[in-house]
This record gives sequence, structure tokens and C-alpha cells, in this order.
Amino acid sequence: MNGRRRVAWLLVVPALAVSCGGRRPVAVPAQPSGSLVVLLPDPDDGSVGRVSASNAAGAVELSAARDATRVATGQTPPAPAPLDAAEVTRIFGDALAGLPRAPRHFSLFFQFDSDELTDESRRLLPEIRTVIGEYVVPDVVVVGHTDTMGTNAGNYQLGLRRATIIRDLLVSGGLDASLVEVASHGEADPVVRTPDETREARNRRVEIEVK
Amino acid sequence: MHTRGCCAVALALVVAWTSPAIGQQAPAAAGRIKIASGATSIVRQGVALPAKPGELVFEADSLRTGGDGRLGVTLKDDSRISLGPNSEVRLDRFLFAPATDGVGFGLTILRGLLAYISGRIAKLSPDAVRLETPSAILGVRGTHLVIRVDTP
Repeated sequence: MNGRRRVAWLLVVPALAVSCGGRRPVAVPAQPSGSLVVLLPDPDDGSVGRVSASNAAGAVELSAARDATRVATGQTPPAPAPLDAAEVTRIFGDALAGLPRAPRHFSLFFQFDSDELTDESRRLLPEIRTVIGEYVVPDVVVVGHTDTMGTNAGNYQLGLRRATIIRDLLVSGGLDASLVEVASHGEADPVVRTPDETREARNRRVEIEVK
Repeated sequence: MHTRGCCAVALALVVAWTSPAIGQQAPAAAGRIKIASGATSIVRQGVALPAKPGELVFEADSLRTGGDGRLGVTLKDDSRISLGPNSEVRLDRFLFAPATDGVGFGLTILRGLLAYISGRIAKLSPDAVRLETPSAILGVRGTHLVIRVDTP
């Protein structure tokens, strides 16, 4: 229903109610308005988080797998109780089936002061291409990083060169360039903290996010 | 001379007036539609647009599905949402600029079914995530929840 049609209904419904001598034009379901909230294990690592559900009348906390509460307008949220797994599937199966694939992250490492990949990282490229291919419309973010040898400005440029080379490798493998973002964090975002002017192989990298 | 001065003032006014508008026309996207089937739409500034995979989603957009609709979106912070049939949500707030402006996530579920998996915003600042329904406010400390909003 578009916005305009909805506005039209808002006008029509009271008009009908009046013209029908107060008879209701639409049936109102017996169930009052409310929200069923269910905490589920994370589909990727199985961990169970925590959710609070509150309104003006009170608050409850869900903290176990399939803990559920149904909060009705203006009423104190009832204490959570687990919902049967089959019920979760019955009620929420359609919504759960629409969840996009989980994002993936990769790191590729480079030789010192260079935009040449290490041999080990070069061997990872086919796998990264395969993973990207599993997403119908992937968003890919490629961020270049350096160690702390050299100047900030020079390292920003080196990080950008590293990221651009990886972008080009992925695009030449068939990825749509408009879906790739390239950035450099230079030496500002190391994996391993070091003093300035320190060679550190683990910081000479490009990080790839695929989602 | 006088005319030229007027033109210059008029031009300056036009530039001053349109510049912020240009800025507003190209805000950063909040995410992208990854899955869409059946009747689905993005409602942006009151206009319903088809919600196909690949379409960008912005702060203040609403997402809607019809009786056979299903919709999945991945946001910039890696959080994911999906709608079942006959559902509607509005992305009230989305800010993911941890190094500069901060983070924020606000989603209102108006009706129907929603599945949610939290992302980096919830990790960085759990209090910055707020899911709302007509009858409840949900605070999320991670990670995965489902919500059904029944409307009379």
C-alpha cells in the first residue's frame, strides 16, 4: 500500500463508520497489538547474546537461547520463557530465510616497503575470488595498511597502492568495479602496536571485507 | 554594473541555497538489498521504489513487503536485517563513522516479521542500537533476534 492510498483509507474508514450508523467497517482481530520478541543463537558462531525489552510499564531481559516475551502496548512485559524451536521456524521461517549471507574478512600481507604480495598471500587470491562469487551482489571494501617505517604521508600512499593493486586483481577476475571501495589507513591502524620506524610484517597488509 | 552586482548576489544566493541540498542528495548509503522476492519496495521520501537486489538503502528509508514478499539487507557495519511477508520497517537512524562522527542504529518495526543480526555498531557501542516496535523498545547486547509485530 503506498502512502497516498493509506492516507485515503484514513479518511474513508471514519466516513464509512459514520455512514453505516456506527457499525464497524472492518473486523478487528481478537489479539491486541503487541510484539513477540525472541532471542536466538547467532547463526555463525552459536553464541547467545542479550536483549532487553521495555516499555513505560516495565522491562525484561532475554538471555537464553529462544527466550521469548510478548509485549502488549502499555502492559508490563511478561517474564521471558523459551519458545519451542519448531514454533520459531513456523512463525519466523520466512523472515529467517531472507537473511543475507554473513560478511567475510580476509587479510593479505606484503613484502617490506612494497606493493608485492607475499607468496603465501598470493596463493589466497583464488579462494577470495571464489568467496566473493558466492554473493549475489557483493560489497567489497579494500583497505591498505603499512608498518611504521617511513613518513605518514608516504605510508598513506603505500597503503593506497597496495589496496588499489588488490582491487585491480579482483576486478580483473570479473568483479564489478562499482561494488569495490578502496581506502588507505597508512600506518595509523596497525594490527600489532609498535614504536615508530619499526618493521613489522603483520602490519603490512590489505584487509578485505566482503558482504 | 548595477545589474552585474545583482546577478552576482543572486548567483551567490542560489549557490548558498543549493549547496546543502546537493550535499543532502548524495548521502552515504547505509546498506544494500541482497535478497528480494515477491512484492517488495523501498519507500524514500514518500515514493515507493522497487526493492531489487543491488539497490542501496539510506537512512530514513522504509522497507515494505507484500503477502508473498521477502527482503534481506546487509548494512555498512555488517549488521543484517530481513523481512518476512506483509512487513514494514523504517531505518530511523544509521551512522557508521567510528573514527569521526560516531555510530548509531535505529530501526522501527511497524508491522510483520523481522530477523536481525547485530554488526559492528553493537560491538562498538551497544547503547547506540535501538530497535522499536509500537509496544516496546529493545536494547541489543548482541546478536541475533526475531520480532513479530501484531497490529489489530
